[in-house]
Parts: sequence; C-alpha cells; structure tokens
Amino acid sequence: MGKEKLAALSITEEFASKIKADNQKERLTKWAPVFVLIALFLVFSLILGGSFASGSNLVSILNQWAIPLLVALGLTFVIMLGSIDLSIDGTVGMAGSLAAVFVLNSRNGNDMGVWGLFLAVFCSVIIGFIIGTIHVKLKIPSFMVSFAFMNICAGIGLLSYGGKPPTIKDEFIASIAKSSFLEIPIITWVALLVFVLCLYIQECTPFGRHIYAVGTDETIPKAVGINVNKVKIKVFTLAGFCFGVAGVLGAIRLGQGQVSIGADLMFPANAAVVIGGTALTGGKGGVVNTVVGTLIMTVLFNGLTMMGVNPNIKTGVQGLIILIAVALTVKRGSTIISK
Amino acid sequence: MKLRRITSLLLVAALAIAGTLTGCGSQPSETTDTPANSGTVAEDIDYANFTIDPSKIPQEKLDTTLYVATSVRGLENPYIVTITEGMDEFCKYLDSIGQKYEKQVLDSGGSNDVEIDNMKQFAAKAKGNAIAYADPNEAAIAPSLAEAMASSGGYIGTAWNKPDDASPQDYDPNWVIHTSADNVTNGKATAKALFDNMGGKGKVFVIEGMLGNTASIDRVKGFEQALKEYPDIEVAHQDTANWATDQALTLVETWLNDTPDVGGIWCANDNMATGALQALDKKNLKGKVGVTGIDANTDIVEAVKAGNVVATVSSNGYLQSGYTLAICYAAWAGLIDPAQMPEEYRVFLTPAVMVTADNVDSYIAEYVDSVPKMDFAKIFSCKAD
Repeated sequence: MGKEKLAALSITEEFASKIKADNQKERLTKWAPVFVLIALFLVFSLILGGSFASGSNLVSILNQWAIPLLVALGLTFVIMLGSIDLSIDGTVGMAGSLAAVFVLNSRNGNDMGVWGLFLAVFCSVIIGFIIGTIHVKLKIPSFMVSFAFMNICAGIGLLSYGGKPPTIKDEFIASIAKSSFLEIPIITWVALLVFVLCLYIQECTPFGRHIYAVGTDETIPKAVGINVNKVKIKVFTLAGFCFGVAGVLGAIRLGQGQVSIGADLMFPANAAVVIGGTALTGGKGGVVNTVVGTLIMTVLFNGLTMMGVNPNIKTGVQGLIILIAVALTVKRGSTIISK
Repeated sequence: MKLRRITSLLLVAALAIAGTLTGCGSQPSETTDTPANSGTVAEDIDYANFTIDPSKIPQEKLDTTLYVATSVRGLENPYIVTITEGMDEFCKYLDSIGQKYEKQVLDSGGSNDVEIDNMKQFAAKAKGNAIAYADPNEAAIAPSLAEAMASSGGYIGTAWNKPDDASPQDYDPNWVIHTSADNVTNGKATAKALFDNMGGKGKVFVIEGMLGNTASIDRVKGFEQALKEYPDIEVAHQDTANWATDQALTLVETWLNDTPDVGGIWCANDNMATGALQALDKKNLKGKVGVTGIDANTDIVEAVKAGNVVATVSSNGYLQSGYTLAICYAAWAGLIDPAQMPEEYRVFLTPAVMVTADNVDSYIAEYVDSVPKMDFAKIFSCKAD
C-alpha cells in the first residue's frame, strides 16, 4: 500500500516538474519577442545616438506603426484559425482609394465627409465576409480565395479613380494626418482602439475562444456543437474590418487615395505576426503578440532608414534581421515536423 | 494539351504562309495602284518634315481593320494613363482619315512574361495588321516584344527601356523606333532647379525609384552630375522608395528627425514627391523645403503653382504613345520603310517640358485642362532636336 503510494507520488512529481519546466520554457519564448524589441531599440540608440530615441522619432515610429498594426491584427485571427488571408494588398488599397473618392476630393463631386470613411471600411468588411463565405461554403482554400480577391479589390480601387489618384480636399479629414492627442498621432490612437477591440474579442467573448478551438483542432468544437463555418466567416469579416480601417487611415496619412497604399503590406504583416509568436499552424498566439511583432518590424525599418544603409544592401539586411528575429522567437521544440 | 500545341503550330504555319503570300502580293500592287507611293519610300525623304498624305494610303488598307495597342505596366500610375490617352488621340486621327481600327490596352501588371504573352496574342490576333506602342517592363524584354510583333508582321515602337546592344534594326522593318525621354537631362535639370532654389548650399534628401530600373538609375545619374557643379550641397540621406508615395512619406518622416535643417528633397518621380510633401506638411515645413519630382502628375503641378514644389518634368506621355503609333502607322500603310530610315530616326529622344513657377499656368492650360494639340500627320514632330 505504502509502496504504491510512493510510486504514484513520484509519477505525480515527475509530471509536475515536467509541467514546470515546460511552463518555464513557454514563458521564455513568450517573452522572447519583447527582448528582441528591446535589443533592437538599444542597438539603434547606440548606433544612431539621440536622434533615434528622440521624441519626434518616437512619434514617427508610432505613425509608421499604425497601419502595419491594423493589418497584422486582422491577419492574426485568420492565422490563429490556421488559414491565411492574401487579400491584404488589394483590400487595403481598395478601402483607401474608395475613402478618397467618397470624401471631398480632386477627382469627383462626392462630399460624404466622415461617413465616406465609414462607407469605405464597410465595403472592406463586405469583402471580408464574401471571402469567408466562399472559403467555407465552396470549400476553396482561403489561400486561393483571398488571392483572387487581392486582384479583384485592386481592380475595384483602380476603377474608382481611373488612374489619376484623388487628393483628399476635405479639410477636416486631411487635418487628421497632422493631429495628435497626448503627443500620440490620432491615426495611432485609432489603431490602438481597434487593438483594444480585438483584445476584448479574443479574451472576453465566446467567439474569441472559438477561434483558438477551431485553430487547434476543428473536430473538437464541431463535436460540441459550435458552428465552425460561422466562426471562420466571422474571422474573415473581422479581418476585412481591420484591413478597411488600415486602408482608410493610409489614405488619410498620404492625403491621397491610391491602390498602392496596400502594396507590399502582406508579407511584412505575416512576418510580424509570426515574429510576435503566433503559430502559422493555428491555435496559438494572439493580438498582444502581434503588437510586439509589428513594433519590431516598424522599429527595424525606421532604424535602418535612419542609419542610411546603402539601399542596395538594405533589403538584404532587413531579411537577415527578420530571419534572426524569427529564429529567436518562434517556438520550435514542440513541432516534430516543419513543412 | 498536345492537341492544342499541334493546332497552334498549324495556325502559326498557316499564318506564316498567308503572311508571305499577302506580303508578296500586296507590295507590287501598291506600287502599281499608287505610283506616287514608290517615291515616298525612296532614300532621300525629308523625315524631319515628313507628313502623312491620306490620299496616298491605298483604300484596301483603310478598309482593313488595324489593331492598335499600347502595352503598359499597369494603370495605377497617372503617367501611364496619359500614354493610353495619347493612343485615344491618335485614334481620333485615324477616324479623321477614315481608317478602320480597333484599339486595346495591354496591361502587364508589372510582369515581363505577361507583357510578352500579351504582345504575342495581340500580334497573332491581328495577323500583321497591328501597330503598338510598348513600354517594356524591363530593358531586357524589349527585343522579345519586337520579336513577338515581327513574327506576325505588325509594327512596334518601344519607349524608355531597351538593352544597349539591341536596336530596332535587329527586327527590320517591324521594330520601327525606340524613343526615350532623356532621363539624365531631366534628373539634372530638376536637381539644378532645386539647388538654385536653395541658394546653392545646404542639405538634401535623395529619393530614388526602384533599384535596377533604367529610368531611376539615369535620373539619379543626372542628379549626381548636377551635384558636382554645386560643391556646397550635401546629400544627407539617399534611399529608394520604389516609386511609391507611402514609402517616400515614411523615408522623409524618419529622416526629418535627424536632419530637421534639410533644404531640399529631390525625388526621382512625382508619386514619391507627393509622399515627401505630405511628410513635410506634418512638420509644417511644406513650402519651406524645396521639393522636385519628375512626371508632372496633376497634384504636383498644382503644388508647383502653390509654391510647394520647385520643379517637375513632363515626359509628355500623350506625345510618346501618340506619335510612336503614328510612325508605326506610316510604316504599316507603306508610306515609309523603316529599313531605309536613317539611324537618328530609329532611336531618338522625345522632348520634355520642365514645369516651374514661371511656366506653370501655361502648362496647366495646355496639358492639364486639355490634351495637348498634336498633328499626327507630321509623324516626326515628336523628335527632340
């Protein structure tokens, strides 16, 4: 009897110590992105002196951070599902172009004011909804559907202004780009607001928990009666919302609507999400990770730009640092096979 | 797949035979029908003043449907829109002389392969009755585009990019001309305007276009030539914004933090100048720091008028595409023989217009509020002196 108890205890102990070690490792990988961010910041401050860490450059970083953050937030939920959304470049460009042609602008007679901005975001939400619906109903991989919509949306954006980019003439909307509150640009406040919304959805709603469940193993939520398809459609719609806000803010930031607002956002966003620690396989990570991931990317671009690295080698250096950041932050031990 | 390949082979063979047959047949008939024609294809043509005389174009040519195209990188760039509008203007001229035609924009979306495939399909469809203006996505593909057109007997003119060792003579007579706005001169002219605006001294930012792109390299070369003439100008930062507005905005926004005393910003195109202006505006420096661009986008021309931009250069896309098509048309109609044309009429520079505060009003009246008047009958009036 006593012997049995001892054996049971040692198994329990062993299990407990393993859990403890796992937790420790988990905590370490959880904080790795933050360490990378701090390291980057310190290195750039050392090399560039005061101008990098100056108040005005921090404001620039916040300004440059807003749009990548919004895009990556939307993408985070999609990646947590284990899916992918390639429509970013098109959707963001479309929303930005539409926003500029809806408000008072140099191309047509529209003057919807702030409602024009909401309408542009709404169009992007619709696109997200359609992508999600086609993905689940026609059972086409999200990769393909969203890729198609990248092109469709870029086309809609181009058509909306017929090649000559509209300049925003609405003085209030144009002034948003320059305005700040507590030294932080309004554009960044909007992005932070969307972040809080996403965090609330992730942490405090059943929908948020369902995303993790579907991403981990679809069959389990299905077995307990969760409508998996509905969760997926909602995630793509939410992503559409984030991309739409990003596009509209992009247009405000540029003072002009252009499809190219969305150009080259997708891969840095993917990298930011992964560097932040959200697994491409789904089920792990979250929007807080993405905040850190996008900050790493923004600080990296900003610092390299200020350093004046020869443009011919800058792209390569960027790639190298991203690779190092991923190697440091992605939790690799748990996967046996990587593909 | 195999069947498709065989059919396409057969089709090509049939086309080739048809092409040689009609080619042999039509030439002598032209000379007999319109004896005056043979005179125009002689060597002593005054090309500088060459004028299309519609009465010399055989009626059968006028009744043949001519396929007209511009092959471009994508319509998101306002400059490229002026290229397509130049084609529209030329087509109005075709209407006026009673030529049957069908027009088309071939959009490569920035892909070399797509541009070549587009041109092959277009040329095949037109069976030799084709003229095209092409802006090769990269220098290397210009000969491939010419080859695609030559294989079906149509006529093509290229602009901006071609390899140094390739020339229109390689595909006589189908690769009619290659033109380019003088990027080095334009880059130098805007740089000098910028430096003069700064009083010849101070710090500048340089925003380059896409790395490896001929237009960007040459414009920057022009900038560097001007820089040598102004020893008190210092380049504080230089980087690429890939022709994109948002990337230029980010660059300038960042640079202004360690170089708040910058005196001028030189941009390799106007899209990027728009971004630079927006970044300056955020720091309330718009109008205080000189900016220059190239392309004469509408918003930048307006900024020149408002005093926020020092200078921009119009490459005049209307003229580039419109006249290139006109020259190709003259070749297709048999009025000129490209193979006989002297070298300086096969590869030449097209004139550019620099827009500064001095001439901005007349520029807006002629090029922005209206499409410039072009006389397409005088086909070589697009050649810079």
